Amino acid sequence: MAIAEQKLTSVSPATASSGSFPWRTWLATVDHKKIGIIYIVSAFVFFLLGGIEAMLMRVQLGTPNNTFLSADVYNQLFTMHATTMIFLMVMPMNVGIGNYVVPLMIGARDMAFPRLNALSIWLFLGGGLLLYLSFLTGGAPNGGWFAYAPLTQVQYSPTAGMDYWILGLGLTGIASIAGALNFIVTVLNMRAPGMSINRMPLFVWMNLVVSFIIIFAFPTFTVGSIQLLFDRQFGAAFFNPAQGGDAVLWQHLFWFFGHPEVYILILPVMGMISEILPVFSRKPIFGYSFVAFSGVGIGFLGFIVWAHHMFGVGMGPMANAFFAAASMVIAIPTGVKIFNWIATMWAGDVRLTTAMLYAIGFISMFIIGGISGITLASPPIDLQQTDTYYVVAHLHYVLFGGSILGLFAGAFYWFPKMTGRLLNERIGKIQFWLMMISFNITFFPMHIVGTEGMPRRIYTYEAGMGWDMWNFIETIGTFLLAFSVLIFIYNVLSSLRNGEVASNDPWDAATLEWTIPSPPPSYNFLHIPVVNSRRPLWDAKYPHAAGDDHHGPSSAPSQVRYEYTDEETEGAKDIHMPSLTFSPMIFSGGLTVASLGFIYINKDILGLPTRVAALGFILIGIVMVSIAIRGWILDSRKDSPYLSQHH
Amino acid sequence: MAEHATHDQHAESHESHSTRFYWMIGAILAVITAVEVAIFLVKDTIGHELFLAILFILSIAKGAGVVMYFMHLRGDARIFQLVFIVPFLLAVTLCLGFLTIFSHHVGIAG
Amino acid sequence: MSATSHAHDEAGQAPLVGSLGVDSRKLGLWAFIGSETLFFTALITTHLIFYARTKADLAAKGMLEHMDPKLYLGIDLTTILAAILLASSLTMVLALAATKSKEWPKFRFWLLATIVLGSAFVLGQVYEFTHLYHEGLKLAPQYVYEGETVKSLFGVTFFVMTGFHGLHVTLGVVWLIAVYFKVRRFAASPENPMDVELVGLYWHFVDLVWVAIFTLVYLI
Repeated sequence: MAIAEQKLTSVSPATASSGSFPWRTWLATVDHKKIGIIYIVSAFVFFLLGGIEAMLMRVQLGTPNNTFLSADVYNQLFTMHATTMIFLMVMPMNVGIGNYVVPLMIGARDMAFPRLNALSIWLFLGGGLLLYLSFLTGGAPNGGWFAYAPLTQVQYSPTAGMDYWILGLGLTGIASIAGALNFIVTVLNMRAPGMSINRMPLFVWMNLVVSFIIIFAFPTFTVGSIQLLFDRQFGAAFFNPAQGGDAVLWQHLFWFFGHPEVYILILPVMGMISEILPVFSRKPIFGYSFVAFSGVGIGFLGFIVWAHHMFGVGMGPMANAFFAAASMVIAIPTGVKIFNWIATMWAGDVRLTTAMLYAIGFISMFIIGGISGITLASPPIDLQQTDTYYVVAHLHYVLFGGSILGLFAGAFYWFPKMTGRLLNERIGKIQFWLMMISFNITFFPMHIVGTEGMPRRIYTYEAGMGWDMWNFIETIGTFLLAFSVLIFIYNVLSSLRNGEVASNDPWDAATLEWTIPSPPPSYNFLHIPVVNSRRPLWDAKYPHAAGDDHHGPSSAPSQVRYEYTDEETEGAKDIHMPSLTFSPMIFSGGLTVASLGFIYINKDILGLPTRVAALGFILIGIVMVSIAIRGWILDSRKDSPYLSQHH
Repeated sequence: MAEHATHDQHAESHESHSTRFYWMIGAILAVITAVEVAIFLVKDTIGHELFLAILFILSIAKGAGVVMYFMHLRGDARIFQLVFIVPFLLAVTLCLGFLTIFSHHVGIAG
Repeated sequence: MSATSHAHDEAGQAPLVGSLGVDSRKLGLWAFIGSETLFFTALITTHLIFYARTKADLAAKGMLEHMDPKLYLGIDLTTILAAILLASSLTMVLALAATKSKEWPKFRFWLLATIVLGSAFVLGQVYEFTHLYHEGLKLAPQYVYEGETVKSLFGVTFFVMTGFHGLHVTLGVVWLIAVYFKVRRFAASPENPMDVELVGLYWHFVDLVWVAIFTLVYLI
């Protein structure tokens, strides 16, 4: 690979371009890296919103008989907190990092369908904005993130909040399915020569598995929420037992999606951990195939355990026994992964960077969450603990202690690749320890109050139940947790300006994304690489150890920043990248506007004017979508070698 | 199979179905549909179980005909078979699982 | 496959055939069809669950035979609709065969035939819906049969399920028309066979869903 070498000090990061912010190149972008960054930034904003909702709830619960929040507002907050963290934070954050990193890891120049990729990000943003718009228009969704019937029927949830929930999540759902199809085709069909399936980095593997889970799990949720929409808008009564519907059917449809959804949240993060641990242990991952195939196994098993969320319904002993046994079986592939990660670190040359600390934090916290999960898989125990804070403790240990700690590991690991600057390690380590401690202060006592019987989703409680002290401690923990997030924001902002300039390969890593400049040029690879092993970069750097299972201590990480020479960049002009297009954004804007209209199409709020306005919104939406389709066709012609010449 | 801008005969032997072949498949599917409707009309005389059994076999044959020959899944790349058959099996699991649970059969799901 | 992708390079077409040796768009569409399979399965399953419940309810009240909501669905019209969709699958595959052998007049004929048959199916369904509506079947959790009100979700599950199928057929017709005009305008484009194959796959899948609905909803 022809690369020019320059000393670090002589190069200023490419992001420091002069002049105003290039809005057009971002809003009309089809570049997977820019789209990834839009995903990451917007997911982080939603993370802050969801965090603020959590803090408000914790203030309310900090003392007994508190009147800080009303019951109604509390219901909206816990619904939006969960919906935000799951659908608007962890999922898009995974997708964002995957969007940025996966094409680089497999040696591709972009995703398989760049315009579809742009559609996904704008649909996700449209759905998220629609959800948050509900706070301003009469009340946010308030039926809980799994929206149990019949609580979500119009008579029990009369505001438009649940309609916003259905259509907002509908838009993000389309975005997820489109994104997942894109990942599937990209990973299977855009790999560089030699990058066979069993040489793919484990992060790519997990993204592939998760994409299949998404396209197979989301349809039942789509069907369920469409039926719920018909219930609310047209009186269909699918889930209204009073009129012959079935509330339990909603639970089955929802959890057939909802359980695979938790693997959608955790598997990509497990993939990130499987990339980070080997690099900072200077050893190849232990049992590559086992880690990969246990991910596939988790994906499959995830589809036959859905009803373990429903033991409280009373499905009968045979059904309970089946779903309990199937749920416990999932502990096996999960345990395989955990032992492989530990074995990867074992006898390795471990470097405790911030990313590595977060990765180890992930493993330790995830083990606690996994063990409480196994206890919940047992119906007798579950019947005691269901709908208590024990469940809240469990899900936060796997989703915060798991997913979010892992995402911080990924952030510290890939930040230099995305921005050309390293995050400050010292601040990072302080933040890590503060977050670990405050996370446990916040969530560990929930195991205790849960087993003592404190129900989840109550907006206040009487004094003297034995919950007062723990709840107060949890609230203090939340504020410490929020402070640690503020430290991270400070770290990002200051590092973007003054952070240490990153070389191509600041961590002495093994995968392809570290062979190209930081941040990479729009075409990623000047020459598509040819891959001969699972660790192409290590093999290039340490030919004497190639094929050896033990990588061993090496020379110091590269301090050299590679830049393509002017001559080479000149040659890169022949690389055809898809052209800018606003059509995906207009398309998703149109769908969002039409969805907003659809919410009010059958609402008796101001009588006729509301309906006319609603119809108007739908028409505007349809016009926007039509314009976008026309523009999409014309823009895609520009990139078709034949059609652009014969137009 | 993917590309046929230029027809490469040895690479795509399964592609060489003649239009006559498609007409034949179409005729068979039409006959199956006619038989389905015919047994629907006489279902009271043949008994419910036999009716269901025949109907399922005929419908599966019809669906398989569409997938294998009209959609060319037979003989096409393995990955296409995978991304269709795996969700199809999941769908069958979903349907049978839900119908079992909602049968409220005492001892299994009640 | 390598031979064909090479041919593409000569035609000035960016090779869409990737590391797996298949066309990217076709792989994406097959995966999408897999996803849609689960979508329709969930709709059909919901219908079957509530239909079984209606039958059990009616039997408990001793009014099974003549109250069965299925009596609304005329088998004659449905059979015609099924035949139309099946015939359109045949014309679709014939259109694709004509594309591959570059017999453009034949292609235009068969694709137009598919469009006409698809539109006929949609119109037939519109007729069926209005007919059922006037008979008393509504998008509501009860229906009136021979002057008696029966509580059942039959109308709800039936209209939502077949309505979403009809929506898919309608979108398919729009896609077919788009492909027709694109191929007419760029007759020499190397993209044509794949464009036709993709819309064909989607079209056959919509037909496949009807095979399932025809059996599970109309016949059983």
